[in-house]
Order: sequence, then C-alpha cells, then structure tokens
Amino acid sequence: MLKYLKKYWLFCILAPLFMVGEVSMDLWQPDLMAKIVDQGVLQSDFSLIVRVGVQMILCVLAGGTFGVVCGVFANIAAQGFGNDLRKDLFGHIMSLSFEQTDRFSTGSLITRLSNDVTQVQNMVGLAIRGLVRNGVMFFGGVFMLWRQSPRFALVAACGMPFLIGLIVFFLRKASPLFRIVQEKLDGVNHVMQEDVAGARVVKAYVKEAYELGRFDRANDALCRENLRVQTLLSFIGPGMNIIMNLCVVGVILVGGVTVKKGGGLTPGSIMAAITYLTQILGGFGFMAMIFQSFTRAKASAERINEVLASEPSLADGANEQPETARGTVEFRDVSFAYPGTTQNVLEHIDLTVRQGETLAVIGATGSGKSTLIDLIPRFYDATSGTVLVNGRDVRDYSLDALRDKISIVMQRAELYSRSLEENIRWGAPDARPEQIKAAAQVAQADDYICEKEYGYYTPVSEGGHSLSGGQKQRVSVARAILKPHEILIFDDATSALDLRTEAALYRALNERDPDSTKIIIAQRIASIRNADRIIVLDNGRIAAVGTHDSLMETSDIYRDIFLSQQKEGGAA
Amino acid sequence: MEDRNKTVPKGFERRPDEKHSVSRDDLKRAVAQTVNFRPGRGGPGRGPAEIEKAENVKGTARRMLQYFSGARKQLAGLILSVVAVTLLSLAAPAMQGSAIDSIKAHDWPQLYRCAALLLGIFVVNVGANLAQLLLSARLSQGVVRRMRHDLFKKIDNLPIPYLDTHSNGDIMSRMTNDVENVSNTIFQSLGSLVSGVLTLVGTVTIMFLYCWQLTLVTMISVILTVLVTKKMSGVMRKIYRKRSALLGELNGHSEEMITGYRSIVAYNKQRDVTAEFEKTSDTLAKVSVKAEILGGSMGPIMNCISNIGFVIVAAFGGYFAYTGLITIGTISAFIVYAKQFSRPINEIAQLYGSIQTAVAGAERVFTLMDHPDEDNSGDKTLRDTKGEISFRHVNFSYIPGKQVLYDFNLDVKPGQKIALVGATGSGKTTVVNLLMRFYPLDSGELLIDGVNINEIRRDELRRSTAIVLQDTFLFSDTIGGNIKYADRDASDERMKNAAKMSNIARYIERQPDGYDTYLSHAGESLSHGQRQLLAIARAVLADPKILILDEATSSVDTRTEKKIQDAMVNLMKNRTSVIIAHRLSTVRDADRIVVMDHGRVVETGSHEELLAQQGVYYALYQTQFEGKAI
Repeated sequence: MLKYLKKYWLFCILAPLFMVGEVSMDLWQPDLMAKIVDQGVLQSDFSLIVRVGVQMILCVLAGGTFGVVCGVFANIAAQGFGNDLRKDLFGHIMSLSFEQTDRFSTGSLITRLSNDVTQVQNMVGLAIRGLVRNGVMFFGGVFMLWRQSPRFALVAACGMPFLIGLIVFFLRKASPLFRIVQEKLDGVNHVMQEDVAGARVVKAYVKEAYELGRFDRANDALCRENLRVQTLLSFIGPGMNIIMNLCVVGVILVGGVTVKKGGGLTPGSIMAAITYLTQILGGFGFMAMIFQSFTRAKASAERINEVLASEPSLADGANEQPETARGTVEFRDVSFAYPGTTQNVLEHIDLTVRQGETLAVIGATGSGKSTLIDLIPRFYDATSGTVLVNGRDVRDYSLDALRDKISIVMQRAELYSRSLEENIRWGAPDARPEQIKAAAQVAQADDYICEKEYGYYTPVSEGGHSLSGGQKQRVSVARAILKPHEILIFDDATSALDLRTEAALYRALNERDPDSTKIIIAQRIASIRNADRIIVLDNGRIAAVGTHDSLMETSDIYRDIFLSQQKEGGAA
Repeated sequence: MEDRNKTVPKGFERRPDEKHSVSRDDLKRAVAQTVNFRPGRGGPGRGPAEIEKAENVKGTARRMLQYFSGARKQLAGLILSVVAVTLLSLAAPAMQGSAIDSIKAHDWPQLYRCAALLLGIFVVNVGANLAQLLLSARLSQGVVRRMRHDLFKKIDNLPIPYLDTHSNGDIMSRMTNDVENVSNTIFQSLGSLVSGVLTLVGTVTIMFLYCWQLTLVTMISVILTVLVTKKMSGVMRKIYRKRSALLGELNGHSEEMITGYRSIVAYNKQRDVTAEFEKTSDTLAKVSVKAEILGGSMGPIMNCISNIGFVIVAAFGGYFAYTGLITIGTISAFIVYAKQFSRPINEIAQLYGSIQTAVAGAERVFTLMDHPDEDNSGDKTLRDTKGEISFRHVNFSYIPGKQVLYDFNLDVKPGQKIALVGATGSGKTTVVNLLMRFYPLDSGELLIDGVNINEIRRDELRRSTAIVLQDTFLFSDTIGGNIKYADRDASDERMKNAAKMSNIARYIERQPDGYDTYLSHAGESLSHGQRQLLAIARAVLADPKILILDEATSSVDTRTEKKIQDAMVNLMKNRTSVIIAHRLSTVRDADRIVVMDHGRVVETGSHEELLAQQGVYYALYQTQFEGKAI
C-alpha cells in the first residue's frame, strides 16, 4: 500500500517539515508570554511588552502560514494517494474474472472501492499531519516544560501512565464493539431494504406486524450496542480531563512551593508551564486517538490488498496459433465445476458448431445451458477439456481478441444509466444513428423507442428500472447485434417477449445477419424449432442432438418438452 | 448542431437537452417522468447531506420535542449538567488566576486554599461532564430507537402507489441518513449550543467584572473571528457541495459498473469504463484537495487570530497592570477567557449549519410519517370465501389522463381457473394490482363473493389471496423460512408438501443444509427459475382461496411447469386461480382465457373456443406452435 505514496514522497517530507515549523511557533509562544509577564509586566518595562508582542505576532503569522502550507502539501499527498489507489483498485476489479468477482460479491467490492479507500486515505492525511503535529507538540512541550523547570516535567511524567492506562483500557474495550455496532446497523438496514423492495410480498401476505417485530428486534439490538459503545467512550474525555486538571493543580502547587523555598521560578513561568502541560497531554490524547483509527484503517487496507493481490485468474494467451476456421466453436470433452465446488455442472461435452449455423440449446432449469455458453468467451475456464473458437484454443487468445469475435445477450439484461442510444452503441461506439436504428429495428425495439418523447435519447435509469423486462431485453439484443461479431449468443434473451414479437425478431435477425454463427438458448420450442441443430441438455450432459424433426423421433426428453408446450394442441 | 439539414432518422430528433450528452441530472429528471409501475425498482439515493434550508422550523422542532416527552427527567438532568459544566469551566480560570496572584504575593495559605478549591472545581466539573455525556447517549439512543420504530411502521403501511413512484433509495435514506443525522446533531450540537451560549455570556460577564477596558480590547479578535468564519464558510459550502456531487457521481458510476460487470466484460469495455472512472476520480481528487486545503486552513487561521488576540490581551494587560488597573492574575485569567471566548463562537458558527441540516432531515422524516397510510376502510370479514371475483365496468389509470383499463368486465366463478393473455402493456398486471387493493379504482366496482372489496377488511382480503409475481422477491432467510413466510408456525410437513408441489423439493434436499440452507443476498445464488419455484411454494403454503400467478413460471422450463400444474390440480380444486402468462402452454388448461389488448377485453373463451374463433388468440397460437420463430 505504501508504494502508492512513493510518487508523493516530496510532499510527504515537506508537509511534516512545515508542520514542525507551525508547532515550533506554537511552542515558542508561551515562552514569549512568560517573558512579557515576568520582564515586561512585573518589571513595568512597557517597551519590552511592545517589542516582544510584535515578535509574538510575527511568530503567530509565521506559524499560521506554515500550517496552511503544510495542509496544502499533506492534502496533495493524501488525495493523490487515495486517487491513485482508487483508480488502481477499480482497474483491477475490472480485470478480475467472474469467478473472482463472484467470490468477493459485488456489494463488498463496492464497499471496498468507496468506504475502504476513503478510510485509508483519511488515515494517510491524518498520519501526515496529526501524528507529526501532536508528536512534535508532545516532545516539544516536554522539552519546553523541562526548560521552565524539571520539576514541572516530573509532574507531567506522573500524569502520563494514568493517561496511557485510561486510553488503552477504554479503547481496548470499545474496539470490538465498533464491529458489532456495524453489524447491527447492517441488520437494521437489511430489514428496511427488504421491506421496501419486497413491499408487495409483505402486504400480500399481511405481514406488516411480523415485519415490525423483526425490525424492532434489529433496532433494539443496534441501540443497545450503540449505547454500550457511547457509554464506554463517554469516560475517555472526562477521564483525560481529570488527569490533566490534577497535573495543573500539581504544577501550581509545585510552583508555589518552589517559589516559597526561593527557587528561581516566576509567576510567568508557572503560567507558561500550565500552557505547555495542556499541550503535552492534549497532544498525547490525540496520538492515542490516531492509533485507534489506525487499527480501523488497517482493516480497510487489508480488505483492499485482498483485491489487489488477487491476480486476474484468466490471463491473456500468448500462443500465436493460427485460426483455422472462421466462426466456429468446438467443445472437446469439456467438463466444468464452479470453482470451489466439486459437483460437475457440465460433463464430457463434445460439440462442434459450424460457421453460419444456428444452434439451439434447450433443457431444464439448472441443466447447464448458461454455463455451457459462459465457457466460449472465457467467462470461466473449463475444468477439463478444451474449448476452441475458430479452431484455436480460447486460452491461446488474448481476452480482447476472443471477446471481440463474440456478441452475447445475457439472461439478465444489464443496461446503464445513459441514453438508449448510448446503451445500444455500447459495443460499437462509432455507430451512426442509421446503424443504431437498424439494429433496434431488428431487435423490434425501434417502434417503442420512437414512441418515447425523446426517442433514442431517452435516458435509462440505473439498472434499466424505467423499462419493462421485454423492453430491456430488446435493447440488449440491439446492442449485441450492433457490436461487430462472428459469433452471436442469446442466453434466453427473448423470454419476456410475446411470441409474435419474438418471431419477428428472429426473422429480421436471419435476414440481416445470415453469416454469423448463432447459439441460442431458449425455453420455448417454438423459438428454436427451425434451428439448424438443437441440442438437448440434461444434467450437464448432451442428451440428444438433431433437428426438430429428428429429435421428435429419437429423443424422449425433447418430445416430453414438446408435449409439455403442446399437449393436446391441434397444430402439432 | 451542424447536421440539422441532413435527414435525421426517426427517433433521433429530440434530445432531452440541447447539450451534446445527457447529464446525470437530466437522466434523473427524465427517469422520474417515465416511471414504470412495476415492483422492485430501486433508485439513486441522495448524495451526502449538505446544508439545506428547512421549510417549517417551528413545527418540526415541536414534533422533535414530543420524542423527549417520555424522558423529561433525563432531559432536565442533561440541561442541569451542561449548565454545571459551563459554570465550573468559567470559575476554574478565575481560581487559577488567584492562585498565581497568591504565589506572587507569597500568600501561602491562600495558595493552598485556592489549589484545594481548584481541585474541587475540577472534580465536580468532570463528574458533571461525565453525567452529561452518559445522559445524552442514553437520551439519543432512546429517541432514535423510537423514531426508527415510528418510521418503519409508517413505511410498512405506505400505500403501493407511493412506493411505486418514489425511489427505494430515497425512502431508505430517510431511515439511514436523516434519522442518524437528527440524532447526532441533537446530542452533539444541542449540548455544545447550550454550553456555548452560556460560556459566551458568562465569559463576557466575568471579563467585564474584572476589567471592562481589557474586555473591549479582547472584542477585536472576536470580530475578526466572526468575519473570517463567515467569509470562509460561504466559500467552503460551495466547494463542499461540488465535491459531494462528484463523489455521488463516482460512487454511482462504480456501483453501476461493478453490478453490471458481466456485460462490460462481454463487450470488452473494461478499459473504456476504467478510463471514465479515472477521469471522474481525477476531477474529484482535484476538487477534494482544494476543499481539504480550505477546510484545513480554518484551523491555522483561527489559531492565528486567537493568538493575535492573546498578544493584544498581553500587551494591553501588561500596560494596564503597569498602570495598576489590574493584577497579573487577571491577565492569566483573561488569557484563558479569551481562548474560551473564541471557541464557542467558532462552534456556534459551525453548529448553525449542521442544525439546519438536521432540521431539514427531521422534516423529511416527518413528511414521510405524515403520508396517509394505506386505505384501511372496510369491516366485512371473509370467513368462508368462495372465491368469486367480478370486475364491473372498471376504469383505471396510474397517471391521470393515461388510462390503462377501459370499462373492464370480468366474472370468475368460484373454483375456476382463469387466464389473462395479451401483449406487454395490455393491462394484465394492473388487474392484479386492483384485486389486491394495491391501487384504488377510478370508477366501477370490484366484487369478491358479491361484496365490494373496499368494504372487506384489507387484511382478510389479502390473507385469502396469494400472489406470485414475475420479479420474485425472497428474504435473506433460510429456504424453510421463506416457504413458511405466510405462516411461521406451519409444520415442517406442510412446508415439505408445498416444496414438493412446486417441484423444488428435490433441489432443496440436495443442499447440504436442506431446508435450513440460508439464502444470502435475497437468494441471489439461485437461478431465476428456482426463485420462482420457491415463491410458488410460499404461495401454496399460504393456503389461499384465490391464487394469482403473474408470469410466475416465465423462467421455469415447460416440463417442470407442467409437473407443477399437474400437482396443483388437486390443490386448486375448490379455489379460484388467476394466471397471467404470455407462454400459451401455461394458460391452455384454463377454464377460461381472457385476451386483453390496450386495457380492453378483446376475446374470451376456452382454448378450443378461441381457436375456433380464429381471432387474436388464434394468431398468437399460430406463431407459438407453428414454429414461425427462427
């Protein structure tokens, strides 16, 4: 993590230097004050008061300037550090494989990118300024106090162990509670989020009272823990105060006794000592707080490092094998189990898809259809066996080159909060309006888009929530068609369309794009009936391959699927 | 724009804005206009709070006070301890001053008296301070707990139209940001406000008592402080606002891109997206540096001013002591007071902003609490529902002027299975919304067993009806807990039966923990089809008189669907079911099929009758089964 600070090493050195300047000025002041009191006021030397006063104002102005300059350098370093870290982390997240993002979960990646980076960045800022400031304040204060009288320093030394004990005791007790409070807070937000998102379900099942009970339990738990933490922390401030105050009384008494015995102390030096004492103890308390937040930032830093340290598990292939057959896909004895599991989702798949062919995949929920096509653009790597695109092992391609050949429409249409037009040309940034419109026409999206007030410039809300399921699917189909491709994959991409629209879509697609190899996953036999070849997946194995007519004769499963959609249907 | 003269394809004529690209604000505005009445929308939440103006400060404050009504003693104790802390903090420097004076005067007994008194003051002060902190922690947690409770209760009783037209993020942020904000402010600021004002008044009074001339001199630094604070906070507010807007944009962007990660990878857009992120991130860093420098300069500048004040006090104090107007101890006390003096002024200036923000937050919370509850009229019970449904001349629109149902008539006999088919937007889901009393009718009547649903107790109505929606919602609970949602006390046997009937039992039993398998992230690990099956099991266990399936099996393969249908035949014997689907195999078995188009019933009859009519249904059927697709 520290390597991100390297770029800003100059600022990291300059900021504390200026801070030392600021603090030295702060520390010099009580000394000047003592001079004013002892030599000016007590000796009635008015010109000295003015002279030292001017000195003091200059010293204060210099201190302020140093402080501001230090802030400038410290912030350039801390913000620059945070910015670099954030950018690197985002870039790294984007290079992770699906397996890795699945493992981290998207929610946690988002938190790491926002909260954790901010935590670490604040820590760096705090360390550069606060740690140095309070450290100098502390040691400088001790030195100055010593100069006033070693006895005063002794008083401060007596207070110190109590202060340390107090802070360590309470922070140690409170630290584990912070995590618990965070958990309880998540609990409250969780119930809340579920009830807002699932309001229809809660209402339909008349569960308002039950949900309120659930919320109250979470809420009570949160308030209880919060109270515990706050109660504990409440003791720190007053505790530090009392120690500090006792020391002040000690200084006055020690000072008084010394003066009484004719020691060389003056009222001015006692006043200065009180000021130094508060500075020392205050600085010390601050340092303790910084160390406390240091442990929290450390946890954040570890969470960030965890992501940064995970090497992208899918590396670009370096092998420059020639491509032998354009627009083909081949599975050679492919088996696949999701990382971390042992159960094979695909078993011994052998399959060749020819150029320009339309291959349909059908099968029950959970039979491995989506997994099968996820292997083609290398979203995952096969556990055993080989997947070839254009006659070349997908692992030999660079990821970019491989994915540039493939256009895929996913089951869940992911749209982004920009205009419809920008969403459609997501994969072809330079497409002209005519081309965008043509793609939308094929996807049967043009009609409804044109009906909108702003047509193609209509903005899409986050996650595409402003569109219906069918509308979203059509936009993502248009997006896939517009992207240059050799192989086009539909993963149950038209399930929300009514049949007429779906039929029109496939018809238009075949007219516009007859040459691409197409792999289509579907639920409805009607959608895929005219495909060149249909494979029936069952529990991760290819149960049958053939055309609709041949499968009707040879495959029980296929016939069963057909009948379930057909039944006594007269048109069969 | 230079291409005005060229022909622009249809749909590309108008942009929401004349700027070249759509800004985020435009997006939000336009999205708000195109709300879609479907469950499960989320929306962008509000960015970090900034200073806002409240509309009705008095009313809001009065309502806030009600939350304290149960804790009068604690509140009184809190105020008492604040006053004590303040007064004692004022007394301490004076005592310190006389201690130093007595050292100078070599009056030793006086010194010991002063020291003892000082010690006493410190101890009591710390005690009062502790009491203040503990009391305010207790009070704040109590108030927050009650406020959260009230707010959640309201949210649970909000009508569906409200939830459909307001972003989830916005509703959630009232709970998370606003309530938290209110509580923090009340207890961090209110205490310091009281003590700040007291300190200010007390300090000035004591200073005047000591030496009014020196007090007036001290005022110079006060005026400087106020002027500088005012000037700087104006500049800072602007830049902080800019920063929080950028931060919101960056977080929104990264959240969206990480959630939509799969498509980014599929389209090889990682580099573009990263570049975009880096651009925003760089801008944010630049603004942040400026904001932080400004914010950070506040400290040194204030320090400067207060030290200048100190020098002035020392210089004039020295002169006055020289002329014999005051003693050295007075100077010592004045120095402490002058410091004490500028602190509350700084604080109050900062508090003013945060209190305003908190009041605005409280106002937002109360506005939501004041929203009328879901209509709860109707007192007729549905003891022995037969399940007869009739729509009589129903007209309905979500947005006035955009009618969705026109003179809709439908009669469903008890025990019938009825299917609604039609294109997206034809009004099928609306029928469900009305039947559950999620939305009120514009005109016409909706009867169950001959009773207008508005006269039936709402909970009775809903308890006798179960719905399964297309966008399946599961709770982060065990699988068993989800199935038993309607009746937490249901026996395991009933739960297993429901699972079996929904054809999900085998999957569940294969899980290592079976029915105790915990579904994290609301069942994200399940496929969409499996989620739908679980939702069906949940509805089956509810044992409803009327079952509504709104595209409930759209992601389930047809063979599994067939098995469920067969299993349900027995269950649904004496019950009414309404099925909405575009997959015709799903609806073919229905006793009656109703074909809808643009909010009107265009055909109705059994599968065979409709085929014979050779109308809209027939055409749909042909495309589906004649293989006109690929």
